[in-house]
Parts: sequence; structure tokens; C-alpha cells
Amino acid sequence: MQALPGLRLLTRLPRWGQAARAAPARAAARRAWCSAAESEDKAGGAQGQQRPPFDPGLLEILACPLSKKPLRYEESTNELINEELGIAYPITDGIPNMIPQAARMIGKEKQEEEPGQT
Amino acid sequence: MAASMVVGSRRVWDGCRRGQRVLRLLRGLCSGGQRPATDGETHFGFQTVSESEKSEKVYQVFENVAKKYDLMNDSMSLGIHRLWKDNLLHQMNPYPGSQLLDVAGGTGDIAFRFINYVRSQRERRIQQQLRSHQNLSWQEITKLYHEEDHQSLGGSHVVVCDINKEMLKVGKKKSQRLGYSKGLSWVLGDAEELPFNNDSFDIYTIAFGIRNVTHIDQALQEAYRVLKPGGRFLCLEFSHVNNSFISSLYDLYSFQVIPVLGEVIAGDWKSYQYLVESIRRFPSQVEFKEMIEDAGFLKVDYQNLGSGIVAIHSGFKL
Repeated sequence: MQALPGLRLLTRLPRWGQAARAAPARAAARRAWCSAAESEDKAGGAQGQQRPPFDPGLLEILACPLSKKPLRYEESTNELINEELGIAYPITDGIPNMIPQAARMIGKEKQEEEPGQT
Repeated sequence: MAASMVVGSRRVWDGCRRGQRVLRLLRGLCSGGQRPATDGETHFGFQTVSESEKSEKVYQVFENVAKKYDLMNDSMSLGIHRLWKDNLLHQMNPYPGSQLLDVAGGTGDIAFRFINYVRSQRERRIQQQLRSHQNLSWQEITKLYHEEDHQSLGGSHVVVCDINKEMLKVGKKKSQRLGYSKGLSWVLGDAEELPFNNDSFDIYTIAFGIRNVTHIDQALQEAYRVLKPGGRFLCLEFSHVNNSFISSLYDLYSFQVIPVLGEVIAGDWKSYQYLVESIRRFPSQVEFKEMIEDAGFLKVDYQNLGSGIVAIHSGFKL
């Protein structure tokens, strides 16, 4: 019983009172940090949706992998469109996905075509 | 997360109609019933698999290792991979204004080195200019410094193309963390069907990626297509060791140590087993040189690093 304070000194553990006081402060700090991170994410996400995350300079270099023809950037759906073949390549996180199998078909008259033959 | 689910379900519909490669993004190997007729068989490490299976399996390997990729590279090669990549950049010797396409460049190692190299070249040139023009007026000096602000890369640009989304994500985060923002673009694309116009790039590099491509000859032909005339093809890849003593040590290390490291650090034995097996399956230096020549490149040559553990192949589109 009397050795307990001594043990505490030896192990340098905080006293129970201090620990109890510190824990809520730490938890509050953690909560504040988490909410700050969340709000940052939300702000970043909202910004990402508002401003075009896609660099239009890339449009000059990019071409449809199947037909090698130029593409058009469609801001509303955030896709790169090949009018000729009627396919749209999605852009996720600002990175255009130019894999033919990931492309979406657009245009009813082109629905029977299969441009993704590999 | 919700957006990716919507996109994912759309991809499932497309996948059922066209092929099932997209389904690898949602789950593992899909059922065999919807697989298109496979033309041939190929190797996945020491296994024999169909060609469509190989691309899926390779995709899964890199999806699994993406987050620990850089750490594993350092552990497996004891940091020597950095020297190999630095050597590649020295051989490349890009000038400010070059357009680089880095294929299978997921985590951006080559791209970042390229930017550093070009930036330091440009700084050196500006310093030389300042030193040689001793009698410049203040206006001219400020103009030189302004030019540096606007075009610290001198118009250079690098496009990082990879087939694996996870690797690109890791690379993009790394670029944000290290502060590379200008002159860098990320594209998800297939090395066998590059989404770029003809004659677009000055330099094409593929570092430790070409052995994972299912149809290497198609990738080489695409490389030839997108390079400008006078452009350079550079490939850094594991190759065959010519020294028998080093070869036996290397085999021991590869098969006994690397998969264990993979299990301990990345929690993935099989991916690293695939890695060491795929190295053995890759053609030798001379065979690969002939493949590059078949694609149309001229002045093809290779240089061994580490007595053949790694080789840099180079060719020109002339």
C-alpha cells in the first residue's frame, strides 16, 4: 500500500487525477482534429467538384486509344468524349481513365457497335 | 465512395457486354462463363495462364502492393534501385523543353527525377548566362529571373501513364507531398494501346514495367508510334546475369529472401513470388534488343548494371 506512490515515481506514470484530467482534453483535441480534417476533406471535395480537376492542356496530348482521334472534354459529366465512336472516358480524381473497357457508350445508334475489341 | 460504386456498376454492365477486364476493379477473377475466347497462353511467373488472365492477375498484384511499393523497393534492393534510376536519368540526359512519357510509371520515381534534373539543368544555364553577361542592366537581370519563375522547367513536361489506378493514386499523393505540381500529368492507360497522338513525345521510358505487359511487341510498337522522329526509347528492366557466381547468389536472394520480405513488410508472399519469377521469364538482353529492333527502333543498345541484374536498353526512332 505504501509502496504504490513509490512505484508510480519509479515508472513515471501520471497520477490518476492528472490522467483523468488529461484524457478528456486529449479526446477533445482529437475530436477537434478529426472534424478539422473532415471539413478540409469536404472543402477539398467541394472544390474538386466546382473547379475542373482536369488540366485542359492534357487534351492536346490525349487521343482515343482505339481510334487515335482527338477527344472533347465534357464538363457536365467530367468525361472525355470521342464523338466518332460514341464513347466517353471517365475522369476520376483528375486522372483520365483511358482504358477502353472502362469507357461508356453514348449515342443510341452506336449501341450495337463494340469498339472495345482487343 | 458512392460515386465510385455508381461508376463501378456501370462498368459491370459494360463489362458483361464487352469483356470482363473491368470487373477486376470490383472484385477478383470473375466467372469463366463470360470470358471472351482467349487466343493464346502466356506465362505469369512460372505458371502458364491465358493472356486475359495474365493482365488481370498482374493488375491484382500491383493493386495489392501499391501502398507498400516504394518501401518494398527499398528493402528488396537495399536502396540500390535509386542508383539504377539515377543512372537512367543520366543516360537520358534530358534538356529543358523535353516531353517525357513515363509508361508504367505509377509511383512517379522516374518522373520526379526527370523534373529535378531538368530544373537543375535550367538553373545552371541561367547562372551561366548571368555570369557571362557581366554588364547587364537591372531590367535585363529581373527579366531573366522572371523567366525562371514562369518556366522553371523550360517547357518540359512529363506524362505518367499506368494501367493501375492504385499505383497512380499513390504516385499523385507522393507528388503532392513532395511538392511537384508543374509539368506533371497523370493518365490511366494501357501500354499496349496508348491514348496519345502519333509523334508526341521526345522520350519514352518504361522502368521495371515492360515485363508485366502481356504483349511486349505491341507495347514496343506503341512506343514507336508516340515518339517523335529522333525520339528515344529507354527501358530499365531486370535482366539476365552473365556471371555464374553472382547468378547463384542472386537466385538464392531472389527466391529465399524476397518473398519473405514481401510477406513481412507488405503481407503478400505471392506478389513477390510473381515478381522474382517474372524476372526469370523475361527475355535476355540480346533477345530484348532484337524485339526492340523489330519494332522499328535503330541504334538499339543495352547497358548492364550490376553485371546484368538490371539492364538499360535504348533505341532511337530515326
